[in-house]
Amino acid sequence: MTDLAAPTAGAEWPTRPRPRIRSFVIFAALVVFTIYAGREVGFTLSTSWEIWTNPLWEKFWPVPWDWVLTRENVFDPLIETFQIAIVSTIIGCSLAMPISFAMSRLTAPNRPTYYVSKSVMNVVRAVPDLFWAKLLVTAIGIGAFAGAWALSIFSLAVMVKLFSETIDGADPRPLEAAQAAGGRHTPSVRMGVLPTVFPAYVAYALYVFELNIRASIVLGLVGAGGVGRVVEAQRQFFRFDRILGILIIIFCVVFVIEQISVALRRRLV
Amino acid sequence: MIRFDNVSVTYRGGVKALRNIDLTIEDGEFVVIVGLSGAGKSTLLRALNGLVPATGGSIDFNGTEVVGASAAEMREIRSDMGMIFQTFNLALRTTVINNVLMGRLSYVPAWRSTFGLWPAEERVKAMQALERVGIVDKAYVRASDLSGGQQQRVGIARALAQEPKVMLADEPVAALDPVTSRHVMGDLQRINQDLGITTLVNLHFLDLAREYGRRLIGLRDGYLVYDGDIDDVDDQTFMEIYGRAITEEDLMAGVELADHEADEAAAEVADE
Repeated sequence: MTDLAAPTAGAEWPTRPRPRIRSFVIFAALVVFTIYAGREVGFTLSTSWEIWTNPLWEKFWPVPWDWVLTRENVFDPLIETFQIAIVSTIIGCSLAMPISFAMSRLTAPNRPTYYVSKSVMNVVRAVPDLFWAKLLVTAIGIGAFAGAWALSIFSLAVMVKLFSETIDGADPRPLEAAQAAGGRHTPSVRMGVLPTVFPAYVAYALYVFELNIRASIVLGLVGAGGVGRVVEAQRQFFRFDRILGILIIIFCVVFVIEQISVALRRRLV
Repeated sequence: MIRFDNVSVTYRGGVKALRNIDLTIEDGEFVVIVGLSGAGKSTLLRALNGLVPATGGSIDFNGTEVVGASAAEMREIRSDMGMIFQTFNLALRTTVINNVLMGRLSYVPAWRSTFGLWPAEERVKAMQALERVGIVDKAYVRASDLSGGQQQRVGIARALAQEPKVMLADEPVAALDPVTSRHVMGDLQRINQDLGITTLVNLHFLDLAREYGRRLIGLRDGYLVYDGDIDDVDDQTFMEIYGRAITEEDLMAGVELADHEADEAAAEVADE
């Protein structure tokens, strides 16, 4: 052990490095680019002001609560939204379990399965959820059924991305042990990898459920059932006061669900 | 019987881990393999159960060729070889019994193990394997809640549950303290003596090698440089295997605590 050195006034301390010129350059470039992009799309502060002073906003008030707080206008469609979200979360996440294992380098049974599943899922994810909804509404008709299918596909796409990357990062050593015991591929993955990643799977499923609640409202706008369809109908009649009431209810419900989901997820990880 | 005939392993990237190994191990032997890290000890064990494919030569295990075996043959070979790992390799987020059941994977249909529908007699076998290493009371505890020594005994139970003919232990005590190390080595010794299971143990502590081994194999840079009775081994032999003088770090310089109760007490303390 050497003795502790005595503190000095700083004659031998290294000099503090100068701030990098690069950061200034990046900041300046961002400012220039923002101004340029704003010009190109015709964004000016005066037109933004006009948006906020539009008489449209006055139509949001007062909220007709006696219309909003009824079963047929809001609560039944809201329950339908819930049903769409639950069904599509279950379908999407169930399908995502085996596909995610096929999509991870650690657990793919062979190279072709890995590349095929990965490519197919990239294509599925590249199509936005709203487009899926439009497509399915066109294919199987307006209603909750189309919405549930669109969101199932959306859940699957989100879930495989999150979950397969978690599997990639899982500890490979228990899998090695299962293989060393002479296990076949699928049971080895089940015994050696699934226990490690299962809490993450449940946490992601809850997160996907949150996403689906919000997305199923948006999907209603294109005719895919749920409370979103009521919002769309009222928008066509310019009943923004009713829309505000619905939005307040949706906000409260989504807020409560998210709090529950966040609390559950925190206990899992 | 295990016979290595001119076996070589070259990893992708060109590292030669084993070079022209000739080696015969009879049933029921207790063999200790020593050598510096990177000498090829781990590769030797993994070539035997096919976790690392040999790139040259042939390995005969009870009349079956390991090198180039098909997937089904390889599962058959592996089911006869239990493996114990330096880092235990347990699935930490599940119970001890589920980890031990891994050792029974080759005995049940894939759909049963995949859906967790283990037959009752398989669960009995797993419990009996835990009894052998004295931690059957922990069967339904999460593996992550055990101490290092207890985790390694779960690893041994998992290997025992295979009812193997050969036990491969890759640095089984490198992550353990001296007291627990002796307990684990004692378990391996009893498995060899009482059950007649051929045992190959990689070690880097020379005093442990001398204490528990009967036959010693020395590896250096992938070459087999020593093979003989442990009683004929002296410090000069170790110097030849290691290519340098023996230092403090090559010895566990252990706490002498043969008492079984003391081991248990230490394990309990570690558990807290």
